[in-house]
Amino acid sequence: MEEVDKILILALKQVGTELSEEVGSVKDFTSELIVEAVVRCIRVIDPGLGSPLPTSLPPGMSARFRVGMSLAQACQDIGYKGEIGYQTFLYSSETEIRSLLMFLVEKLPRENAEASDQPTGKSAILQRAIAAAIKAQLVEPWLPPNCRLPLHGETQSLGVMHSFHKQPLSLPYCIKDPGKKSLKEVKDYQRDFLPPVTAQLAHNATVAASLLEQHTAELSVAQEWYNEWNSQGLLSRLTPQDYRARKLTRLRKRIEEQLRSAALPPTESAFGGLGATSDLSDILQSFRGSAASAHTLTKGSHFTHSQKFTFTQETEAVPSPARRTDDNHHSQQEELASLQQQFQQLCSDVDQLTTELKHLSVTNAQVLDEFKQRERQNNELEEKIQLKKKTVDLLPDAENNIVKLQALVEASAQRVVNLASQWEKHRAPLIDEHRRLKEICSNQDMESSKKLSEIKVLHDKIRVSTEEAKKKEEIHKQLVTELESLPKDVSRAAYTQRILEIVSNIKKQKEEITKILSDTKQLQKEINGLTGKLDRTFAVTDELVFKDAKKDESVRKSYKYLAALHENCNQLIQTIEDTGTILREIRDLEEQIDTENSNKTVANLEKILEDYKAIRQENSALAAKVREG
Amino acid sequence: EWNMAATETQSMLSIGLIEKDVNGDTLWVWCYPAVGSEFRQVLLSKCCLTQNNEDFHTFVFGQFCRSWYYISTLEVQEPTPLKKVTHLSVVITAKDFNPEKYAALNRILCRMYIKYGSPVKMMEVYIAVLTKGICQSEENGSFLTKDYDVRKAFLAGSIKDVVSQFGMETIILYTAVILKKRIAVHHPRIEALLEFTRVLPALSWHRKDWSILHPYVHLTDTELEHLSKCPGYIAGFVDPEVSNRSDLFDVYVNLPDSIITVSQNAKEAMMMGKLHKDIGHLILQSAEDTERSDSHVIKDISLKTKQILAHLGTLADQCEGSKITLEHLKQQNFPPATENFLFHLAAAEQILLV
Repeated sequence: MEEVDKILILALKQVGTELSEEVGSVKDFTSELIVEAVVRCIRVIDPGLGSPLPTSLPPGMSARFRVGMSLAQACQDIGYKGEIGYQTFLYSSETEIRSLLMFLVEKLPRENAEASDQPTGKSAILQRAIAAAIKAQLVEPWLPPNCRLPLHGETQSLGVMHSFHKQPLSLPYCIKDPGKKSLKEVKDYQRDFLPPVTAQLAHNATVAASLLEQHTAELSVAQEWYNEWNSQGLLSRLTPQDYRARKLTRLRKRIEEQLRSAALPPTESAFGGLGATSDLSDILQSFRGSAASAHTLTKGSHFTHSQKFTFTQETEAVPSPARRTDDNHHSQQEELASLQQQFQQLCSDVDQLTTELKHLSVTNAQVLDEFKQRERQNNELEEKIQLKKKTVDLLPDAENNIVKLQALVEASAQRVVNLASQWEKHRAPLIDEHRRLKEICSNQDMESSKKLSEIKVLHDKIRVSTEEAKKKEEIHKQLVTELESLPKDVSRAAYTQRILEIVSNIKKQKEEITKILSDTKQLQKEINGLTGKLDRTFAVTDELVFKDAKKDESVRKSYKYLAALHENCNQLIQTIEDTGTILREIRDLEEQIDTENSNKTVANLEKILEDYKAIRQENSALAAKVREG
Repeated sequence: EWNMAATETQSMLSIGLIEKDVNGDTLWVWCYPAVGSEFRQVLLSKCCLTQNNEDFHTFVFGQFCRSWYYISTLEVQEPTPLKKVTHLSVVITAKDFNPEKYAALNRILCRMYIKYGSPVKMMEVYIAVLTKGICQSEENGSFLTKDYDVRKAFLAGSIKDVVSQFGMETIILYTAVILKKRIAVHHPRIEALLEFTRVLPALSWHRKDWSILHPYVHLTDTELEHLSKCPGYIAGFVDPEVSNRSDLFDVYVNLPDSIITVSQNAKEAMMMGKLHKDIGHLILQSAEDTERSDSHVIKDISLKTKQILAHLGTLADQCEGSKITLEHLKQQNFPPATENFLFHLAAAEQILLV
């Protein structure tokens, strides 16, 4: 009971009731205290209901009566199911008050535990702190520049804004190639001369930006390499260096191919010069703006002549207009004519050269072709000559030689076939061995790929579990710190301990009760059995004796004694049973007396009588007032 | 019995064997007498067993470095002593162009190998053909090299199909072949490519030169290097990328879409005029005539070519040294296209004065 009271008192203190330290249990609550506590609770639970209710009892008896009634009504509105009325507050009993207070305290809205809903983690805490700081800054009113205090300088002036510039930094530790050893000179430089990161930059403001950039770059490189290695690198079964080297050559090849396909293929053909001339003629044609073919190069159309004219005139227009017009005109005409002549000469030269080139390329091709053909023919003829020579040598003795040749050919054929079969004896086992080893290899390949996939799965599992473990550790740390920061008024451990003790006690009691019940049942069964036995025995004896009682006198006497004995024993048993019942009644009555005593009925009655007298006095006073006026 | 057609029996160069086994590996397992490593790589790339797609080509042939190769592929079926082999290809390299002959020989060799499981038997057949020109085949009858005349090989393609597919544009092909230009033909299916390209050299029948034919070329450095050494050729590609390689051809034939394009730098040499129109009409007429067979059509074309060459010959005789000069041609006042054509034709026929 004490723990319950302690909890109630604590809760009531939290709601705002003023409780002195002497108040140890609900028994000590006075009516005023009760009213104050209940009203405060109701105010928290339901502000609408609670506001009209006063926290202290007014002095007048009827007012007190009214307040009690309204309180009782309010409690019932909230949902209290027990019996409640003005008497609960004015003439309180411990049990009633306890149950009412427990109900009200339970109804109090619980504070939301903020911490358990929000995500945990250091970054979350940091973000929450940032959010809180920004919120606070936003809440601050904006002041014109003259009125600003120095502490606003950081948040409200424009001067502090910097754009996000970054500069490359030189750091001694590089993630790029962990296997590569740096040279001794580089190490010395890094140790003796390399300024620290903050001094490497021109602007102090770019430090943060540069560092962030550097770290993000390194992190992303490492992340990408990690991902790539785990997905493709492991599959390729190469060492990291080999894998990187292979990747490098592959990329280079691709770049080469792209460049090759993108660049226009040179217009070289087997007739080498033809390409160059076609280029040249293209250029010339574009110069002139005509689509004539090679054979019309010698002809110049009216159009081309006029084009030439305009072309030369343009070059003439450049010299300064500051010359005198008459002389200018003449000299210009002369220059124009000579230039035109030169140009025509050049054009015709170019045309000639083009045609010559073409002709030469065609003849060149022809000559090459002829040359190759002749070479081939030469070779063939040489072979034929050899053959014919040998035949001619053999001609004199033609018949014999033919036979000999035949025999020779057959012998060679036989020998070759023989050699082939010998070779086959060597070759076949080798090929079989090769195939067998290949099979083994592919089986091993399958197994190793299976193992690789298993490794991958394990990797993933490891990664997931490390993340979870990290998270759980962080949560644990956070919760521990929160636990330490929580108020230590209430020892939850003690309560849980008590509750567990009570539960075990109850369990034990339950066991004992069941034991006793079973014992009782057993006894009852025995009693029933014995009673039955007794009745049956008596009946049998009765009959027996009665039968003989008619004849014999002594038997009649013994029969009378038997009946009396049975009667007396029955009475004894009855008395014992009655005694037991009466004892039970005594116990019940004693319990009732106890409960009635705790009700403080006598004290309450006296109070009620007094209050009744007070009300009667008030009534009479009021009636007198009314009569007076 | 001896076959004294020495040129024929000495045309076979080598024989090779490629196997594909249950591990999925394709290996060059045996050859006689020898095949150079570069040529071996090329042959492996031509064999359909090395290609990742599931296409199975029973017979392909091509030319590399003036040697013809003929590859027959068969799936190994029971009964056979070859336990770990799923497919096999037999490669015969030779100096002459005769797909039918070598296809037949290949089939015999393949079947022999599958039946006996040992290349020794194959070799016996090969030596027999090499020395005597005849061998017994497992099926009834025997294989005789003299049954396979080279002329039949030249005429085996169908010129009528070419004309029916391209119509008047066949004249472009004719001009290119006559002028010894480079033609690139593309078709995704190798059999169609082989069938089409093998008949094109017949357009210049008077030369009977099938060494300009390279019906199966991959875009690899080795092959392209050897190809570029030939001044004029008819090359077939399965790779559609070849349309971007304008350095490889003067005329590009897109066979599935039936489109012929002349590349920019050859347009000037391939200029066509009235003469070409006449020739084109002649070809069309001859091909559409249902009573004339393929060989007749080729004969007609070659007659016309001979006509033109005879004309050119008379012109050449008018010059000194029997060689035409450009000036002489110009004096004849032909229309420019014809003049250009005759000029280049003279160069191709090697009667131009250098």
